[in-house]
Amino acid sequence: MPYKPGTKLRGIADTTQVVVIRAPAEDIDLRCGGHPMTADNPGHTLVTLDPDLAAGTQLGKRYVNEAGTLELLCTKGGPGTLSIGSEVLAIKSAKPLPASD
Amino acid sequence: MTLVLDGIRVLEVAEYGFVPSAASVLGEWGADVIKVEHAVRGDAQRGLSSFGVKPGQDGFTVLWEPFNRSKRSIAVDIAVPEGRDIILELASRADVFLTSFLPAARRKLGLEVADLRAANLDIIYARGSANGQKGPEAEVGGFDALSYWMRTGLGSAASVGQPTILQQPAPGLGDIQSGMSLAGGIAAALFHRMRTGEALEVDVSLLSQGCWTMSSSLIAANLAGREERPTPDRRTFENPLTNTYKTADGRWLVFAMMQADRYWPGLCKAIGHEELIDDPRFVDMPNRARNAEACISALDAIFASRPLAEWQEVLAQHDGPFSIAQRVGDLNRDEQAWANGYLQDVDYGEGRKLTMVTSPVQFNGETSTLTRAPEFGESTEEVLLELGHSWADIARFRDVNAIG
Repeated sequence: MPYKPGTKLRGIADTTQVVVIRAPAEDIDLRCGGHPMTADNPGHTLVTLDPDLAAGTQLGKRYVNEAGTLELLCTKGGPGTLSIGSEVLAIKSAKPLPASD
Repeated sequence: MTLVLDGIRVLEVAEYGFVPSAASVLGEWGADVIKVEHAVRGDAQRGLSSFGVKPGQDGFTVLWEPFNRSKRSIAVDIAVPEGRDIILELASRADVFLTSFLPAARRKLGLEVADLRAANLDIIYARGSANGQKGPEAEVGGFDALSYWMRTGLGSAASVGQPTILQQPAPGLGDIQSGMSLAGGIAAALFHRMRTGEALEVDVSLLSQGCWTMSSSLIAANLAGREERPTPDRRTFENPLTNTYKTADGRWLVFAMMQADRYWPGLCKAIGHEELIDDPRFVDMPNRARNAEACISALDAIFASRPLAEWQEVLAQHDGPFSIAQRVGDLNRDEQAWANGYLQDVDYGEGRKLTMVTSPVQFNGETSTLTRAPEFGESTEEVLLELGHSWADIARFRDVNAIG
């Protein structure tokens, strides 16, 4: 089932929590730390992080896929990395002009 | 700390240090502060290297964190009609609007007093500018390094005796002073509005704050008929007890014993040189002034004989006002600053912490609790949902690039 904006999701292998800001109309294989994310509250971490997907997700940051069809806002950070299947999501950041005092 | 501005809503459309720092103080005092960042670029501060530290070092940006904590960030493009509507919607329920935008930008974006008052008659309109709202430079922008530091004579005064002109010695120095004044002005305007119902415009400029800083200098210069402060020579300082002394480890002690006769005997005793107390050359202020060079030279030899830490301990037993010349790194270990809550470790989540300075006003002897500076546009959806917009509205705003 496609994700709806406003949906809250959490990792099952770590503490990461996100809210869906935008999502594609089709199903996607959204993961955190290598495991599917869930809208339910597992209460505790259920499985082990994939060590290749453990670069971390940071509180307050936005994460997007390359196509720009998915945007997640991190509401609780954790050690797991967000991905669609094996495509790691990138941080969406401000693009200020470089400057120095 | 008592949140004196609890329930007050503040809307900030500003960049760089000055005005954002004012809004941050209001947030620290309990106001709900919403900061509007450009939908794509964000606040220019996010890209600014300072002190040789690149933006995003360990996830922190030097000039972003202190001036934007205790507020929420939304990413909006005001030049897009839907984006401007969001700003006016926020203004309609805000108590205070703050901006650092230049007059031309305010006209172009429709952010002038009349525009905001059309949305909300009771909104306090606060401007922070470089050089004020009047005069030939009212339309021109600037920075504290220029309008606060150089234009007012501060930079020149700091550079007296130096081989080159000194730039501002601390990042955002003039910004943060000016921001505190603006926060105070806004608090007074809120009080005035409560008593009379009248919403005021509030103005502070980097130049006004710099002029204020030079208040006594200006009077002194005019009375002395000088263009610049006298060039001090520490070897012949008239009052050796307001002088500076180098320690064995190359650090500095600074004295401020203006009424020096009260302190001379005690100081001599404390530093283990009671023979100086009754030395006729140094026995009172007039004699010490006449024999300043000899007195300072004697004290130089004494203070050069032991390291800073030892002198600090010795002088702490004496009642004469003094300080060691601390470096900013020493501030991290200043027991008095910690004891008063002037420094605070601010939680950034996941065990990350940043030591920051609290704003200087305390109420009922309590220190404020700082919250971390927001990520770019972190609260865009949260704020729009609070305004009553749906997720469908939010998608539409994003499709027309009204939000980031």
